[in-house]
Amino acid sequence: MALTDPIILANLRPGLFRRLRVNLALGTGAALFGVMVLSAVLAPLLAPAAPTTVDLTAVRLPPSAEHLFGTDPVGRDLFSRVLYGGQVSLLVAGAGMVGSLLLGTLMGMLGAFGSFWVRAVVDRAIDIQLAFPYVLLAIAITSAVKPSIPVLILLMVLAAWAGAARVVRSIALQERGKDYVKAADVIGASPFRIAMFHVFPSVVPSLVVLAAMQMAAMIVFEATLSFLGMGVQPPTPSWGGIMLDGKNYITSSWWLTALPGLAIVLTSLSLVLIGDGLQTRRDALRSREGDA
Amino acid sequence: MTGVLEARNIVKTFIVRREGKPHELRAVGDVSLSVAPGEIVGLVGESGSGKTTVSRIMIGIERATSGTVTYNGKPVETRADWRALRRSVQYVFQDPFTALCPTMRIGDALAEPLIIHNMCPRGEVPGRVTKMLETVGLHPDVARRMPNQLSGGQRQRVNLARALMLEPKALICDEIVSGLDVSIQAQVLRLLVELQERLGLSLIFISHDLRIVRYLSSRVLVMYLGQIVEQGPTEAVFDNPQHDYTRALLAAIPDHSRVLAGAA
Amino acid sequence: MPCALNVENLSIRFSGRDGDIAVVDDVSFRLEAGESLVIAGESGSGKSMVCQALLGIVPKAAKVSGTRIDWNGRDLLATTGEAWRAVRGAEIAMIFQDPTAALNPLITVEHQITDAIRAHRKCTKDEARARTIEVLGMAGFPELEHRMKSYPSELSGGLRQRVAIALALSCAPSLIIADEATTNLDVSIQAQIVTLLRRLKDQLGLALIFVTHDLGLAAEIGGKLMVMYAGHAVEQGPVLDVLADPCHPYTHGLLRSAPTLKSSRTNPLQPIPGQAPKPGSIGKGSPFRSRCPVVVGGVCAATRAGWTSAGEDHQVACHRFALDGREGVR
Repeated sequence: MALTDPIILANLRPGLFRRLRVNLALGTGAALFGVMVLSAVLAPLLAPAAPTTVDLTAVRLPPSAEHLFGTDPVGRDLFSRVLYGGQVSLLVAGAGMVGSLLLGTLMGMLGAFGSFWVRAVVDRAIDIQLAFPYVLLAIAITSAVKPSIPVLILLMVLAAWAGAARVVRSIALQERGKDYVKAADVIGASPFRIAMFHVFPSVVPSLVVLAAMQMAAMIVFEATLSFLGMGVQPPTPSWGGIMLDGKNYITSSWWLTALPGLAIVLTSLSLVLIGDGLQTRRDALRSREGDA
Repeated sequence: MTGVLEARNIVKTFIVRREGKPHELRAVGDVSLSVAPGEIVGLVGESGSGKTTVSRIMIGIERATSGTVTYNGKPVETRADWRALRRSVQYVFQDPFTALCPTMRIGDALAEPLIIHNMCPRGEVPGRVTKMLETVGLHPDVARRMPNQLSGGQRQRVNLARALMLEPKALICDEIVSGLDVSIQAQVLRLLVELQERLGLSLIFISHDLRIVRYLSSRVLVMYLGQIVEQGPTEAVFDNPQHDYTRALLAAIPDHSRVLAGAA
Repeated sequence: MPCALNVENLSIRFSGRDGDIAVVDDVSFRLEAGESLVIAGESGSGKSMVCQALLGIVPKAAKVSGTRIDWNGRDLLATTGEAWRAVRGAEIAMIFQDPTAALNPLITVEHQITDAIRAHRKCTKDEARARTIEVLGMAGFPELEHRMKSYPSELSGGLRQRVAIALALSCAPSLIIADEATTNLDVSIQAQIVTLLRRLKDQLGLALIFVTHDLGLAAEIGGKLMVMYAGHAVEQGPVLDVLADPCHPYTHGLLRSAPTLKSSRTNPLQPIPGQAPKPGSIGKGSPFRSRCPVVVGGVCAATRAGWTSAGEDHQVACHRFALDGREGVR
């Protein structure tokens, strides 16, 4: 009958990609992201020079065999700086992503399972946060305290948790209306238990997708802040900071801004591809769950 | 007769907006029903008759607008009362595909009631799960599976097994066989009869299929538009229906025994 | 137009990792104008697939084969692409389990049907409208003038199914296929729809294929019955003959599993043990052998049974029946 027919179809001849549950977007994105992460992690091995070594005899040299990405206004090797800068950018973005997802998940679950007042508070907090211009918030905070990596991470968490909270809350609310949650209630499960063991696992696939997307946004956000001078302070390189250094020479020495910019674009692109791929996979798995 | 589980004068109204004005919609109007120890009561009616609402009120998933649910003669009112009630009365949902948590292994889902209520030492949990799976006619290996690896019939048995883990005295079953194939449906019906006979379980069995209710229950209530229009011993209601609606419902049931008798 | 459908050796396969999986295997039947055929079976019996093959709407991955499907002299097996349009809807129409699947939610009932009529034949708007009113009337749609302006979502399930029936009738087909068309409806609405379909069949001389899992419903429809199991036809004959005198162990099992208004616990239901086999796992033998109480040792596992006559027009595909007759399968 109609119920079983789609299942038969779904099990036929899965291609290599489908068997690995990897699609083209996910594969490309993961490979690209892998390259970016590896090059940052292996920076000490790959970099031809230290990122802070100044060489005033070789300032603003264009890319060449000796200096792959050229040199900057004080003669530092740009390739080395981009590699090391990746460490900082990825670390800050990664920590910001993890932190915002943790806070967002907690708030989202509270927004779905809390008492009436808790839900009201969470709802308003999300609304306020989403309406708040976080670049202004960043400027306010960094002018009050000296910018540092922990402050930067905190800023990013504050800026991004609400998006995650909204996704988590909407999925949790949707799941909460389903029979299996009522069934758990009938066998005596507490709201905490229902939230943790029944509903949360259904949120995870979407959180994974969100993690990739969030990370991409974080990379760009970190670059924005650093470019505005509110991020990681010199001489520690970060991609946004390197671009800031080259800002004044944008017409004469294109590589100073274009090459670190390329690193940012490629990294966030790879993450968006991963997110897209994960989403396709999640939806495919979900639809199969529905059929079976 | 004191019923194990009893609903008295249940009324449930919803407020719906129609053309901007709030209207009161009466889903259930003054329904009373009870189930005695070891009895199977059939509750029949079509969609919108309010039978599911009544059953959900009796386990506290929905709240009645007015009326009381009593258990062993004591009214169930507070949260603690409902918690206590659910130790003895359990509910099996209609749709086997949505009533199981999609991310939880069958074994964990079955173990959960035991763990929540500290029914037995942790070490005994897997053994009890295995035993219950066997009781409902499933292979113990099913414990390792995820819900989407099971067929509708298997899932419905798992749901039944989960409700039975707490060794309830009464079970409310909402259309639990209507989505199943005939041969599987018969397996589940036979299991219910066996459980009732062996464990003395009381059963409120809700269905739109009068053939199944006739087979299973000793007493039957017919619901129509939120009211009970006829009730009595199954034989009496089926063989000599008094209300026009019951007669219409009986005539509408497709039945080969009747067609064959008519042809002969 | 007289209708004659002659399906010979229809098979539908999907290609799987370990070779082809047959979801319908060697099914044959005939149907004349004014006749009805009930195809009864459980999930996975392939009964819906047979219907889809008659309309050329099987999933893309499916391979349809057979000797032929003769439809008024046209071989539907050889029909492809555009040629289907002349058949689908115009000559053979289908009513689905879920009427919303056949109806566009954004278009009023009236326009759905006039659009369908004008897509299939040249006529003026007024003629199409007249025909729309006519078919809605035939389908027993109430308060026509007023309610035909409604959108599908404003109608109850029963009324929607009536619209779907009117839509099916709109181009005057000679065969209507109803695939579990009453399964989601309340019993009293179901009874009305069944009565309606029977009346339309008699009045318009339509041929009707009614797919169901409910043997009670099969009896109400009447005509011929084909019982399917795991893609195979196991028994066929006049509905009442088959139900009064089932000759295949599966038909027996189904009847013993299904409660009737006469059943009681003094005569307990006897479920068929086990589960239906997975498609592709049947091999050469009898499809029912894994659950059959009267398996013929060695034979049922090795070969499929051919048809044995069990009465006028009544045939059974069972080794045990061929060997021992009625007593053997009781």
